[in-house]
Amino acid sequence: MILELKNIGKHFGGLQVLQNVDLAIEEPQLIGLIGPNGAGKTTLTNIMDGVYKPNEGEVWLKGERVDGKKPYEIARRGFGRTFQVTRAFRRMTVMENMLVPAMALHPGAKKREVMEKAYGVLEFLTIEHLVNEYGRGLSGGQQKLLELGRLLMLDPDIIILDEPFAGVHPKLQETIYEYINKARTEGKAIVLISHDMGSIFALSERLVVLDFGQVIADGHPDEVKTNPAVIEAYLGKDEEEENLA
Amino acid sequence: MIEEKSLKNKLFSLPGLIVAVVLVAAIALPLVISYFNLPPYQIHVFIVGYYFAILASSWALLAGYAGQFSFAHMAFMAIGAYTAGILGQQLGTNVITGIIIGTVMAGFWGFLIGVLCLRLRRTYLALFTIAFSEILRLVLNAERQVTGGPDGMSFNPLVAGTTSNIPPYYIHLALLIGVLIFMYALANSRFGLFWRSIREDEEAAAAMGVHVVRYKVMVFVITAMIAGLAGAVHWHYVSIVTPNDLLIRQMSIVITMAVIGGIESLIAAALGAIVIQYGLEFMRPLGSWRLVVFGLLLMVTLRFFQNGLLYPLLQRLYRRGAEAETVAKRQVASEP
Repeated sequence: MILELKNIGKHFGGLQVLQNVDLAIEEPQLIGLIGPNGAGKTTLTNIMDGVYKPNEGEVWLKGERVDGKKPYEIARRGFGRTFQVTRAFRRMTVMENMLVPAMALHPGAKKREVMEKAYGVLEFLTIEHLVNEYGRGLSGGQQKLLELGRLLMLDPDIIILDEPFAGVHPKLQETIYEYINKARTEGKAIVLISHDMGSIFALSERLVVLDFGQVIADGHPDEVKTNPAVIEAYLGKDEEEENLA
Repeated sequence: MIEEKSLKNKLFSLPGLIVAVVLVAAIALPLVISYFNLPPYQIHVFIVGYYFAILASSWALLAGYAGQFSFAHMAFMAIGAYTAGILGQQLGTNVITGIIIGTVMAGFWGFLIGVLCLRLRRTYLALFTIAFSEILRLVLNAERQVTGGPDGMSFNPLVAGTTSNIPPYYIHLALLIGVLIFMYALANSRFGLFWRSIREDEEAAAAMGVHVVRYKVMVFVITAMIAGLAGAVHWHYVSIVTPNDLLIRQMSIVITMAVIGGIESLIAAALGAIVIQYGLEFMRPLGSWRLVVFGLLLMVTLRFFQNGLLYPLLQRLYRRGAEAETVAKRQVASEP
């Protein structure tokens, strides 16, 4: 078992954001996590990576209970994530951005070797020519690629990609597709959060749908696509149907 | 392929040569002053400049590198100075012992403040550290029997048996160089990398595996110790310290020196302190107007040169190759 969420509940004051959320990722696979705005996707991600502590339930990562642990501890145990709004270190060069996770994870690593690895990752992401550029000098799409590059340096077992395609040029989107395929072939589990339904359905092997803080569907994308609860969550209830009820 | 500059390359680069020239000039300065029969007061101005350079550069490490905008730096300086002074006056310890214990005491308080400020950012951190500094100043004022109160506390001389200010000059210069080398090494190690990532985005740094709490406390302790060391050494030279020396105005001067030099560079902040200290003395005939000039310079810097006045110049020297390389690589990447 790579990651397991058991009966997760989270509230902020009187607002119940997540309720009885169960999610098990047993093998490396690509899971799409979708839901309307405010469904609780980002809160769930923040619980997985330790930013929030759940009010109820447990989080297990590779057989170890991690709810209550700090984000850096969870990251070091093999959990990596990107953020909905890109969070590249803007006043640090691209190379320095890449060094942070590698040096945090391997304090004794030789800088030269880490830099060589980082350069290889940047080449794969097609942004090696920006190696000395500051984060703030990169376009939005390039910053997304830089975030993905940092994740490869962290080398996690499970990756959460929060809206990786949002506002990204189609050419750079292709690189992100390649990135996802590479991570999959390397045996990493990936949770893809996106409002881009085309990408989600094209890439996901499994789809989980959240609505009002609860899992309303979990299965193969073809099954989920026709699930009445999912259609209702996205399109709303038919007025006639509602009157009959 | 990555080309990592070797130490040899760095030393023989243009910035390396500039540093070497400045260093030689600083070492030769007392000789030049005595050769031309200039007043020894000129040496004193540089001693004070080096003292402020240590404070401004260590504050730059704390605020510019790690993003912790603390106003308690002069308080840590005072803790170092008063600890050394009290030990010397009340217990008769020698100067070196007093300086060492003063430095450690400042580090201890840096640890406490660092832990207490973990969750505070920006305005809240600034207000908290201002409150701490003011409380300390009031305590030093009130505890007359121990600290001398508003009359101040006297110190044993930094160098016994001489009234010349040449030995203190070299002690301050050596201290500044030593502290800058130490901080430069830290800033270019993984610690510096983590501090800067914390400054940029604590949450993202933690998600990358950085132990944010450990590194925030660490930078508080290190910079507090450096401030305490500077205070303990310098006030032995001046021979008397009063609570007025940690007025918020003094802290503002240190911050202004670092800001005008450039808070993202230790060297720029230190140079800023020396240049401003000398500039203020040079403008002494202007009376209070010199502070007006100083204030205007700060306003112009904040409005038009947010990276400071000296840092962009240094950065231009250091990143010359990098920028040319990036432009060339961009061109290659954009070719079909």
